Amino acid sequence: MSILKFSKTHEWAKIDNNTAVIGISDYAQHSLGDIVFIEVPKVKDKVKAGSQFGTIESTKAASELYSPLSGEVIEINKDLINNPQWVNESPLERGWMIKIKIENNSEVNNLLDEAAYKDFVAKESH
Amino acid sequence: MEPRKTPLYEKHAENNAHIVDFSGWALPIEYTSILKESKAARATCGLFDASHMGEIIIKGSNALNFLQALTPNDISKTKPGQLQYNVFLNENAGIIDDLMVYNLGGSFLCVVNASNINKVYTHLCKIHREGKYAKPESVEIIDESPEISLLSLQGPESSKVIAEIFGKDINNMKYMHFAQLNFKNKNIILSRSGYTGEDGFELYCPNGVAVSLWDAILEKGQKYGLCLCGLGSRDVLRIEAGYPLYGHEINDSTNPLEASLNWVVKFKKDFIAKDKLQDAEIKKLRAGFIMTDRAIARQGYSVYSNNKVIGEVTSGTFSPNIDKFIGMAYVEKELNKAGSEVTIKIRDKFYKAQISDFNFIKPRTKRGL
Repeated sequence: MSILKFSKTHEWAKIDNNTAVIGISDYAQHSLGDIVFIEVPKVKDKVKAGSQFGTIESTKAASELYSPLSGEVIEINKDLINNPQWVNESPLERGWMIKIKIENNSEVNNLLDEAAYKDFVAKESH
Repeated sequence: MEPRKTPLYEKHAENNAHIVDFSGWALPIEYTSILKESKAARATCGLFDASHMGEIIIKGSNALNFLQALTPNDISKTKPGQLQYNVFLNENAGIIDDLMVYNLGGSFLCVVNASNINKVYTHLCKIHREGKYAKPESVEIIDESPEISLLSLQGPESSKVIAEIFGKDINNMKYMHFAQLNFKNKNIILSRSGYTGEDGFELYCPNGVAVSLWDAILEKGQKYGLCLCGLGSRDVLRIEAGYPLYGHEINDSTNPLEASLNWVVKFKKDFIAKDKLQDAEIKKLRAGFIMTDRAIARQGYSVYSNNKVIGEVTSGTFSPNIDKFIGMAYVEKELNKAGSEVTIKIRDKFYKAQISDFNFIKPRTKRGL
């Protein structure tokens, strides 16, 4: 069974053994507004925990996407590029962005579980 | 500094608007979705709070001459009850601000951008004191911005909503005309105008009745599909219509000819910096562009042709009404041709675009009533 973790920069990772699917949280999509553009790396590119892996643009602004974990990209959500509104409609399912092979499992400990992330968001939005 | 609140702030908060600081004003950027609101204003009608805009009254026996000297459009061509688009020019023919001039019959209401109220007022007072164009005692300048709210209802259903409140005669009002009406015993201005290219109305009222007016429009608008709209959609709509925005397409160092506002410049009359403008060598022109690739080209990005920079983006967005990424840019005059292929550099990558006319959506205003 996969576990769901969040970063303080509002990305999520669904971790299943040594792979992780990555996207942005419902809170993030809501504060960004209508998503109209997504740029993600190519398969085989490396991403690093806490570093930028892509760009997301809403009608309001362009924002950087930070990877919650380090690893190699093994799949990207190609259909999302032409349907960026899926990030708004379904941030944790159809709005997934990349799937990586996790390089260092201990990095998972730096992420927040769902309850801790909810607390973090509640504090941040006040 | 805390952003200022318009009299409608509580209304926005009640409706869960996403409020941001816009030029020192706490205003909604969106209620639910910029894309949805941008579509609604062209499909049914959208209601905007534009109370941050500035209202400066010019009166006195020389009010007309004073304004004529500072602007290139010919205000003497307007009759009382008409409004006109114009610009205030500096001594180098750069644009201090763009404005709407309302001919009140003897006096004039100048509606200026929120971010420029102080700059324009200071400029007007300085020219006034110098007495170069009119004796100081023959002109009076009053900044009424803090007392006036501005509501804007835009879209094809707007006239039905307005008719329910102010009567059917409103349908006889033409585009760029206005009437002074009574609402809750206060004098308000109702003008058939806007910043979207749609049929629509702008309503200027004393702050005290802004909430009542907002509620009345909202109530009557329900059955016509009225949608509350934030500043995000206001920006999308004005880009779709090809209207310039101060700080983007125009500023103190752009002149109205390069901004493709030739129709505002009347060389038959005298005005400040007329000689400079007549002699100006126009090297760049405002253009529209449509992205061929999917990407938003935002202000400041460079426009390329044959690996050479030929221009700079001033505004860019995704247009939900034509379903394309569009924008405006300044492009070298010779290369500014509709249909030419260019590339725009966005975060170190080149994306294809095509130069186009900037009226992406043709106006549907009621010019020919």
